[in-house]
Amino acid sequence: MTLQKIDEYRFIVPKSFQKGMNVEGLIYANDLLIKAIEKDETLQQVANVATLPGLVGRSLAMPDAHQGYGFAIGGVAAMDLEEGVVSAGGVGFDINCGVRLLASNLMLSDIKPRLDELLNKLFSEIPCGAGKSGKIELTFGQLDEVLINGARWAIKNGYGSYADLDHIEERGTMSNADAKEVSDRAKRRGRDQLGTLGSGNHFVEIQFVKEVYDQDAASTYGLYENQIVIMIHSGSRGLGHQVCTDFLELMQEAMPKYGISVVDRQLACVPILSIEGQRYLKAMEAASNFAFANRQMISHWTREAFNHVLKKGTLDLVYDVAHNIAKEEIHKIRNENRRVLVHRKGATRAFPKHHASIPKDYDKIGQPILIPGSMGTCSFVLVGTEQAMQETFGSTCHGAGRSMSRHAAKKNISADQLINSLKEKGIHVRGASKSGLTEEKPEAYKDVSMVVEVMHNAGIAKKVAKMIPIGVIKG
Amino acid sequence: MNLPFQILEHPSDLGIEVYGRSLEDIFCNAAKGLIAVIAGTSHIEPSKKRNVTIDANNRENLLVRWLSEVLFLFDTERFLIADIHMDFLHDNELKATVRGERYQSTKHDLQVDVKAITYHKLTIEEHDDFWLARVFVDI
Repeated sequence: MTLQKIDEYRFIVPKSFQKGMNVEGLIYANDLLIKAIEKDETLQQVANVATLPGLVGRSLAMPDAHQGYGFAIGGVAAMDLEEGVVSAGGVGFDINCGVRLLASNLMLSDIKPRLDELLNKLFSEIPCGAGKSGKIELTFGQLDEVLINGARWAIKNGYGSYADLDHIEERGTMSNADAKEVSDRAKRRGRDQLGTLGSGNHFVEIQFVKEVYDQDAASTYGLYENQIVIMIHSGSRGLGHQVCTDFLELMQEAMPKYGISVVDRQLACVPILSIEGQRYLKAMEAASNFAFANRQMISHWTREAFNHVLKKGTLDLVYDVAHNIAKEEIHKIRNENRRVLVHRKGATRAFPKHHASIPKDYDKIGQPILIPGSMGTCSFVLVGTEQAMQETFGSTCHGAGRSMSRHAAKKNISADQLINSLKEKGIHVRGASKSGLTEEKPEAYKDVSMVVEVMHNAGIAKKVAKMIPIGVIKG
Repeated sequence: MNLPFQILEHPSDLGIEVYGRSLEDIFCNAAKGLIAVIAGTSHIEPSKKRNVTIDANNRENLLVRWLSEVLFLFDTERFLIADIHMDFLHDNELKATVRGERYQSTKHDLQVDVKAITYHKLTIEEHDDFWLARVFVDI
């Protein structure tokens, strides 16, 4: 019934935990983090996922896992392509929510005197916050082009350079996207939201590299101590949210046809190879392309703001990773290569060196993994490992993970107090919503360093560099 | 039960618990609760009208679709609802006339983007002398 600790960083959820589990659950955590995980319904959700048809290996949860809807946030589930299911809830509402990192050739000392000016410019140039429209409103024809071409569309329209594509997961374009599978409602929600940050935990941060752990990897990624970098966290906005809403409903209606029943309605799923499954994946890829284009445009305005204020420096794309996505991949299971659909919901791909899917210039090192911390704490760059391929379908954590509800986070601190306390730590904040800011206070999250340490010590993703924020734009 | 709804805690998102004397109350109050999540206590003028028609295969799904429509009106037209008149409500269909106005940054204080209405622990309960519903939203 109870969790079985198998080593310092791995806890098994046995099949006896819940009736109907086809496989075990495996949670990566240390003694402290597992206590936090046990507080909410994460374990139950890991067990629920283990009841889904065609799940290969184990139902996985990363150290930043917390209760979500259906699947836990921080969950990874790989399904056999022929016998398994795809679940819209296994990707989540914010399809291809992800992170990108831009590396400058500027040092901390170059920025500090102009930091407030730079933040003001970024805040005015990047639409952010609830209900904020983008700078452009697309025709439905243009939106279809975005949905098919992703970041490539943005670059073709003047937002960045083609070299950026080399450093984006899937080169910024998922190739099976089909705009026809995205409903008119989803398109209407997304039409004026391209190039917007959104609210909640989405942000643009100016950070500096505080510490380098792996010199080879860091220099391959173009990172060094005291260097200024920019981290961007955003997703597919209302368009992606509506795609998930549409397919959650469609999957619920289709399930009886395939003889599938689930213990939680948010786990609604259909066979991967069914018409509905294929339709979802094409729509999901289209929404992912919207998110890739979105982050590309935000990067462009960030570069423009830097040029405008500092009149010097470059911002090169280190990498762009998705952390809410489902992808068809080949993984070795019991010495046999199998095609699986890996659901990563609040989990990041972590491919090792020499993997065919990573950029050529990172081939000898491995894929960069971008782990944002909570506001006011540090963020990390990690590198993928062979161990991740063997244990987690090439996946790792995605951030700090909430430990406090939004409501609880608002108690005992005002936005002004929070802004001042961060300023005392050298972190300047611009926020679209005062209420939104306090919901994102650092204490509302787990310790990102501890989360990363678990992944590092478990051998799943190795530390490359740690960054500290000095300026934050919050939606 | 003085308030028609209250906000429920969820580790990362939030829920709305809704009270009323009828199913109609539940649907109206749930929409008001959702608008409160989006726009807090901002005053909304009922100056513009929209007609809404929804169908679904049961009343729980009808509630999710109805709230999704309230969210859709906001996301696509920035339309915030102040008043609701339920013209017709049955377990699998509703027709409503909603009144409100477009969001104005000088007047309305938006709280957070609501991404979606979920089926998580979704319930509509009829008790002896009141109705209760719970619905969670993703933010």
